[in-house]
Amino acid sequence: MAMLEVHSLSSGYGEVQILWDLSFRLEPGRLTTLIGANGSGKTTTLRTVMGLIRPWRGAVFFDGQDITMLPPYRKAAMGLIMVPEGRQLFADMTVMENLEMGAVTGRARVRFRQNLERVFNLFPRLKERRNQKAGTLSGGEQQMLAIARALMAEPRILFLDEPSLGLSPLLVLNLFEIIRRLKAEGLTMLLVEQNVHLALAISDYAYVLSSGRIELEGPAREVARDDRVRKAYLGL
Amino acid sequence: MVSPGVWIASLIDGLLLGFVYGLAAMGLTLIWGVMRVINLAHGPIIALGMFGVYLLFAYGGVHPYLGLFAVALLGLLVGILIYAIAVHRVLTAPHLSTLLATFSINMMIIGTGTALFTTTPRNIDISLGRLVLGPVVLLGTRLLAALAAVLIAAGLYVFLYRTTLGKMVRAVASNRAAAELMGIPSARVLAFSFGLGTMLAAVAGGLIATFFPFTILSGGAYELKSFVICVLGGLGNPTGALLGGLILGALEGLIPIVLPVSWVPVIEFLLFVLLLLLRPQGLLGER
Repeated sequence: MAMLEVHSLSSGYGEVQILWDLSFRLEPGRLTTLIGANGSGKTTTLRTVMGLIRPWRGAVFFDGQDITMLPPYRKAAMGLIMVPEGRQLFADMTVMENLEMGAVTGRARVRFRQNLERVFNLFPRLKERRNQKAGTLSGGEQQMLAIARALMAEPRILFLDEPSLGLSPLLVLNLFEIIRRLKAEGLTMLLVEQNVHLALAISDYAYVLSSGRIELEGPAREVARDDRVRKAYLGL
Repeated sequence: MVSPGVWIASLIDGLLLGFVYGLAAMGLTLIWGVMRVINLAHGPIIALGMFGVYLLFAYGGVHPYLGLFAVALLGLLVGILIYAIAVHRVLTAPHLSTLLATFSINMMIIGTGTALFTTTPRNIDISLGRLVLGPVVLLGTRLLAALAAVLIAAGLYVFLYRTTLGKMVRAVASNRAAAELMGIPSARVLAFSFGLGTMLAAVAGGLIATFFPFTILSGGAYELKSFVICVLGGLGNPTGALLGGLILGALEGLIPIVLPVSWVPVIEFLLFVLLLLLRPQGLLGER
């Protein structure tokens, strides 16, 4: 059974519809990617699933339970955790405080110590800078902190919205290495990426979004070979 | 020639008052800092704090300093109620909506208060004696009020920086959507923060009532002072509010030595205008 099932989801901003009858599923332990051009609705999809935008129609099921209308904080408490685009850290709070704020839900609080150790192992730099304000970190460190904060929340599904945006090529490779490690640990993830090439290379399954509709889906390896995808997103 | 003793006595007297002004302003600045709302019901809440302590004392025989605890709790609850009824639904609307919403609350409290209590001045008749240090004579009530203000300000600081709930308040202030995504119930945290702001205002009112007479309209003057203080200290900065309070208190103590007392508000607001022109981020502000 799919861990998360999105069924015929439609939403938008004000009068403008962005998503049209979107359906997709996330299987446990798999890395799924959602790719598409700028403005195709990738971020809107994540924001609607998390409840930051109210869905117009359709449903979201998590573990078979209808969670469509729950507010984001309730979804977070169930283990749906999103790393938002542009980091969205608590800039004037310290690294440590940001991590603490990742672990406010009941299920995260009981595993605070283990998760802190895990996160500091994954990102030793954050340990060094734990008393520094998040806003003073470099771009790469901020992205690490955004992911670390999300991991502190003990996610059952991790949504990553454009994590490579604004990072240098070297940092992008580091980031994808981290994602690969999380995948190896069995974490279920949905990755939204501009960097289509890398996203397809590490994902199990891919959905291609175009004008708010799923245009194509399949195992990532097959999607990467698709002519339309090669032309439109891979520049081949 | 005014003797140095008078200057020192007036300065200390003003500073004691300044701590309490600072406390009231912290309530205003906290609400602004967390949710970008200027609470125009701030003054009436201060007046309600005065009446809370007064009514408990006059009709219930509750000692004013004990009554403050009840007033603090009521201030918190009233604030949460105001947030739920008037503020939450217009929070994301343009600033004018929150101004109008809180101003409506202001009018409702003043209207009801005037009908219930009239505008005859009240005062709380207690004395804690006086402390005489050479030329300096300090009223016990003012000394205790300043001490209480300092303790509450310290308590607020500890709360915001050392407790999980306090950190949640700062997280929501910093980035509401991100806080919500991490599992923080932001609407509840906002309601609580608003309550905290009104609690500070109500307690400050209760403290002022122990040494100044008041009516339901008295809050207005302190609300204006709070605005000046907030701008002095940098809007949204509780530590700055305390500093701003001390500056305003010192001015109020010292100006009457050299000028008629009616000049106090003139100079205060001159300072306000100059600050807005020259240093709108406040004395402690960075940007």
